[in-house]
Amino acid sequence: MHTEQPKRLIELSHVTKSFPSVSGNFQALKNVSLKIEKGQLVAVTGKSGSGKSTLLNIIAGIDKPTEGQVTINGVRVDKLSESELATWRGKNIGVVFQFFQLLPTLTVIENIMLPMDFCNRYPKNERRARALALLEQVNIKEQADKLPSALSGGQQQRAAIARALANDPPVIIADEPTGNLDSQTSAAIFELFAALARSEKTVIVVTHEKDFADYFKDVIVIADGAITNETVPA
Amino acid sequence: MKTRYIKVIRDLTSDYSKNIMLIVAIALGVFGIGAILGGYSVIKREMTGNYLSTTPASATLELEKEISKGLVDSVRKIPGIKEAERHATVTARMKVGDKWFPLLLFVIDDFKEKRTNKPHPLSGETEPSPGSMLAERTALIVMNAKEGDDLLVKTPHGDPMKIKLSGTVHDPGLAPAWQEQAGYGYISLETLHALGEMQGFDQLRILVSEQPYSRDHIMEQAQVVARQLERAGYAVHEIQVPSPGKHPHQSQMNAVMSIFIVFSFMILVLGSILVATSMATLMVKQVRQIGVMKTIGANSVQIMSLYAWMMVSLCVLALMVAIPLSRWAAAGFYRQLAVLLNLEINNDSIPYAVAMIQLGSGLIIPLLAAAVPVIRGSRISVKNALDNYGVSKKYSATNSWIVRFSQLNFFSETFRLAIRNVFRQRSRLVMTLGLLAAGGAMFMTALNVSEAWETNLKRIYTQRLYDLEVHLNNFTPIDSTVRKINAIHGVRAVEAWSSSPTSISKENALNITGTYPDKGHASFSMLALPVPTQLLNPTIVEGEWLHDPTAHDVVLNQSARGLLKIGDEVSLAIEEKVSTWKVIGFVEDVGSHATAYVSLQPFSTLTNTTGQAEMLRISYLDRSKENAMRKNVEIEKLLEKENITISSTVPVWLLRNAIAAHMKVLVNSLLAMALLMALVGTIGLVSTMSMSVLERTREIGVMRAIGATPAKIRNLIVWEGLLIGTISIFLAFALSVVLSAYLGRVIGDMAFRTPLSLTLSAFALTTWIATIFVVAYVAVLLPARRANRISTREALAYE
Repeated sequence: MHTEQPKRLIELSHVTKSFPSVSGNFQALKNVSLKIEKGQLVAVTGKSGSGKSTLLNIIAGIDKPTEGQVTINGVRVDKLSESELATWRGKNIGVVFQFFQLLPTLTVIENIMLPMDFCNRYPKNERRARALALLEQVNIKEQADKLPSALSGGQQQRAAIARALANDPPVIIADEPTGNLDSQTSAAIFELFAALARSEKTVIVVTHEKDFADYFKDVIVIADGAITNETVPA
Repeated sequence: MKTRYIKVIRDLTSDYSKNIMLIVAIALGVFGIGAILGGYSVIKREMTGNYLSTTPASATLELEKEISKGLVDSVRKIPGIKEAERHATVTARMKVGDKWFPLLLFVIDDFKEKRTNKPHPLSGETEPSPGSMLAERTALIVMNAKEGDDLLVKTPHGDPMKIKLSGTVHDPGLAPAWQEQAGYGYISLETLHALGEMQGFDQLRILVSEQPYSRDHIMEQAQVVARQLERAGYAVHEIQVPSPGKHPHQSQMNAVMSIFIVFSFMILVLGSILVATSMATLMVKQVRQIGVMKTIGANSVQIMSLYAWMMVSLCVLALMVAIPLSRWAAAGFYRQLAVLLNLEINNDSIPYAVAMIQLGSGLIIPLLAAAVPVIRGSRISVKNALDNYGVSKKYSATNSWIVRFSQLNFFSETFRLAIRNVFRQRSRLVMTLGLLAAGGAMFMTALNVSEAWETNLKRIYTQRLYDLEVHLNNFTPIDSTVRKINAIHGVRAVEAWSSSPTSISKENALNITGTYPDKGHASFSMLALPVPTQLLNPTIVEGEWLHDPTAHDVVLNQSARGLLKIGDEVSLAIEEKVSTWKVIGFVEDVGSHATAYVSLQPFSTLTNTTGQAEMLRISYLDRSKENAMRKNVEIEKLLEKENITISSTVPVWLLRNAIAAHMKVLVNSLLAMALLMALVGTIGLVSTMSMSVLERTREIGVMRAIGATPAKIRNLIVWEGLLIGTISIFLAFALSVVLSAYLGRVIGDMAFRTPLSLTLSAFALTTWIATIFVVAYVAVLLPARRANRISTREALAYE
């Protein structure tokens, strides 16, 4: 696997994604090409069903393109097997979900240590300290030993961001991370993403929140599976 | 500990009620296997050990004349003969209270140097002094006596005489005396003579020196000895070669135990089906978590190992509970069987192999059952996992017949929805129905067989229309006595019969039977009766019953049938005389050893006993045990007054009790199995129904959001449970009919020597229906109530 750290971190070239449906093939993405640099904070917007989540899934290796190439951090992601993808994703992509998706039977800190365990990153005796440091970074260190159900929505999303950072991935992907939060908490979450971008992480956020547009220099607008207004260099 | 294993532990402990059910289900199967297999392995070893410890004779030769010591010495010198010994067996009677019971007297030549069929001394004298006897330990109960007591004994030709019980022995080659409702005593020849029986030793027991477990070789050797004896002027009228090295009950025990072992494994399989359904549900419930774990870096193998560990943990917990408990139950089981078989447990260690089988089956079977849902769940793609909504969103087009059926006008809306929901997850429905049908079928089978057992015990009375069988010492002119008995108030009928041991005769060969030394197991008799008879009503299975009083016709019962067909000619040996009989029918005859029924007239001609009889069969108007006991005493007094000496009496109630006692423990064990089956089946129903409700919490939220009342939702779910229960009852019933027929045949053949008639117990069916309905109702009511208690918002957000 190619491990060189190029400046251009994410590159999609003529990506098409089709899904079979009763009325023939439905194209969720049509010949999409884009390039995202290291340390960029990118917003992906568009109407419901426009193809935002499909784009994110393809970047995260959750889904594979029907056509085209996906290169992330120098690796042809579209060529990896499911098993290779799992390990690659664990090390290279941090995913933040709209509904947090913390595992309910693990405490907050255990949720953060779990990706390190799966990817065998960091020595065992250092994992807890690293998880605590991440929780401190997202300002919920004191909640470390609680179960997710004991936390507020905002605290759970902070924990989810800490989990996304667990293996120190270069890319963070968030699918409507504030869709379930109030505006004050949402602002704090966007602030966190901005801070991550400043620390050289590439952050891609699917959002409808126009109030927080100021956080994003780069915006990708998708309509009917195609990029219609891209401020990211192509 | 790795974080992923913390998740396994937390998941196990967070849903402890469901997991405890799974542990119980697996544990019950492992417990059943351990209890049965453990008990069986000890009994099998001890049965063989106990039996061989008596040095059972390879063969017994019954001679016409008294055997001298010199003759025994000469037989010992025959090549291939390791040991020889003379012996006699006399059927006498003993008085217990005011009733006479059969007493089998074993006359021993030399107590100090007994060479075959050696009983083990337990207490008191080891060599009974003249006028005393040693009693087999199990006979003391029948004798209602203890060591040192006197017992009134009457031999066929002697007067009643008090014999002291001077010691006790254990003879593992004999069935318990209480089972046979007879006494066993060991006396010297001197005591036999004192009892008025002047015969000498007429049985020669031999041990072969080579191939001691080959019946063919033993038969060959026995015939060599017999021919040599005949050349020396000693006629041999019967050679008995019981199955070498095999306890009289060995094959029966093997057959019964194999059924129990199959049942135990079935319990484990049922438990494993339950595990599979539970794991399938768990995987559905956890599919989104699987998606998340895969998103954060877990691969399919890691996910698979997580759930495999979960399963292993459940199995290990089940094994930790089940193995010690099963060892305890196995001990109870083998102790009961030891009593039933008159065995002494010398070594109570359960072989390690049993625990190994429990470990293997308790781990492998549930893991195999859970493998499919676990592998399928682990290999789900991240996208499908994250998109998952719990219960299948699809409603297959193949379900259209269900849709059409549910649209019938007389169904309510709720019931229609319930029908469609039941068929929504077909694979789970199949597993749930399989579990319930198998559990229900085995539950009903056990009760059916138990009821068939009782019915067959009753058939003893409907086939044997007499209440007392009296064996006389000799063929006796009996006409006037018959008239006198007939005149006794309450006597319905009396008939004079005759009987004789017999064997199928082959040209140039001696008569060889498989009879054991107790004269009962594996014996073959000819029973001669007046035609027509009022006192026997056997079930005719082929051909016809005896109808011509003068014809040389024979009707054989199921144990004597062998490969013979209607119309065959069969040569039967009676007291050295071989006669030919035409087979005209086959009957089913509950509780009889191999028997050939013939007309009294040709039998009497053949045995030169015309006008005489050897046996009386008497029936009473009132067939109750109490009346029979009273009348039996009256009859015996009359015979005594008439100077007719009785060899033995067999009241029919005593025969019924003897047969019932033979298999009581095994029938009870079958009922215990039925309860285990019912338990696993109902756990399965509770588990699957409650899971089916839990996983639809979100859907219930939707229904409530669009106006469904809690009562409507509860009714819907209850109908689903009852529908599944109803379908399973039909399947269980059909399966139970097949199983009951099979099991009835095996157990009936063992106990009654005829298959049990197929009995479908109404009690079993109604109990199972009631159980299923109550359990289905309770199983869905609790989770339905819980689902109703969650607010609509929470229910909609439920994952």
